[in-house]
Amino acid sequence: MSPENTFHYALSSNNAWAGYKAHQNPHFFPKLAGGQAPEILWIGCSDSRCPETTILGMQPGDVFVHRNIANIVSPTDINTTAVIEYAVAHLKVKHIVLCGHSACGGAAGALSDGRIGGVLDTWLLPLKTVRYNHAEELDAITDEKERVIRIAQLNVEAGIKVLMNNPTIREAIAERGLEVHGVFFDIGCGRIKELGCGTAHKSSSTISGDHVVRGKHGQLVFGQDGEAEIAAAQ
Amino acid sequence: MYLQETHDKVFENNKSWATEQVAKDPDFFKKLAAGQNPEYLWIGCSDSRIPAEQITGLQPGDAFVHRNIANLVCNTDLNVMSVIEYAVKHLKVKHIVVCGHYGCGGVKAAMTPKDLGLMNPWLRNIRDVYRLHEKELDAIADEEARYERLVELNVYEQCRNVVKTAALQQSYAENGFPVIHGWVFNFRDGLLKDLNVDFETILKDIQKIYNLTA
Repeated sequence: MSPENTFHYALSSNNAWAGYKAHQNPHFFPKLAGGQAPEILWIGCSDSRCPETTILGMQPGDVFVHRNIANIVSPTDINTTAVIEYAVAHLKVKHIVLCGHSACGGAAGALSDGRIGGVLDTWLLPLKTVRYNHAEELDAITDEKERVIRIAQLNVEAGIKVLMNNPTIREAIAERGLEVHGVFFDIGCGRIKELGCGTAHKSSSTISGDHVVRGKHGQLVFGQDGEAEIAAAQ
Repeated sequence: MYLQETHDKVFENNKSWATEQVAKDPDFFKKLAAGQNPEYLWIGCSDSRIPAEQITGLQPGDAFVHRNIANLVCNTDLNVMSVIEYAVKHLKVKHIVVCGHYGCGGVKAAMTPKDLGLMNPWLRNIRDVYRLHEKELDAIADEEARYERLVELNVYEQCRNVVKTAALQQSYAENGFPVIHGWVFNFRDGLLKDLNVDFETILKDIQKIYNLTA
């Protein structure tokens, strides 16, 4: 596909999507314009294979999002900090989900010894630290793909520690029970699993591995007051 | 418990979604796992109402995504600079879209005469956009219309900031891509508006002072 074609595709596709949504529910966009009240802050990787709202089966208005290279949470990064501040202190989200994923380019980069160049080596430094802190465990993994998966999971655990020390998050946990979750997205099967770190130390999800919920795909439903919420399709 | 229920719902939704994809294409995740080759870098707002992939119909694998408060591209922010470098130099994306939206809470907060603590350093960049376009914005009497224009000018200035990076300038000189687009999403009708940013002219203007191709 030539560059011009892809560009036109996205714009015309938006046109079709907006028409479809408005047809499905004439109140969809007017209500959306009224404001946002997301319950989830998602911190994930920029990787094109991890579109958060899509893989969560959710709708516009449901998930507040920050995505960066290798879903790194650095305590002094003002970009991520501003997102957390806005989501937790102003929007008062109920959950923070930090999501790592398999086949992460950033994780693979941190496992290589060469210099990537530019600003990337500096950005990936927290991941390098994870690598050196867990050198023994990582070196013992012979399969390269598995090693990339493991360091990406350890990276989520490290990020969760940073999140749990963030003063705004600490206050929200104490005052109103904000939950912090570390999860992992397996690109090879499209599923998310909990890593058992954060406010819930062990997996709290009641959904078992092969359990499939039919007809529960998230639909945006608007109450009388214009608040958006997820409801199961009947 | 209510909190547990909302949380479980996410996992239920994800399982249904994964199952649906496999039903449509049994190799869907196998192909995804093989690698990414996105044509787009999307720099958008964290706002929950603008999931990049859903509003553009792009599929998993199509767009590399960075989202922050008010879709800002600041040259001292290693976070966004790493994203641009990785997308341009390593993934070789063909398009970079900076997408803002009307009714942006970040833009509104930035123009509020109030100390917002930790958010001050980030939001300051929006005040700087206002200062750059003070005359035009001050001339707009209607407050709502003035905010809408500030949203557009913010997108325009962030496009300029992308053009100022070494990664963009060097790749464009060598390959003729990526090209930059400035879009604004409108909640009222769900449509994207192309601001028709004149990429070639911006590049020429910028390189007079910010040339990093050598």
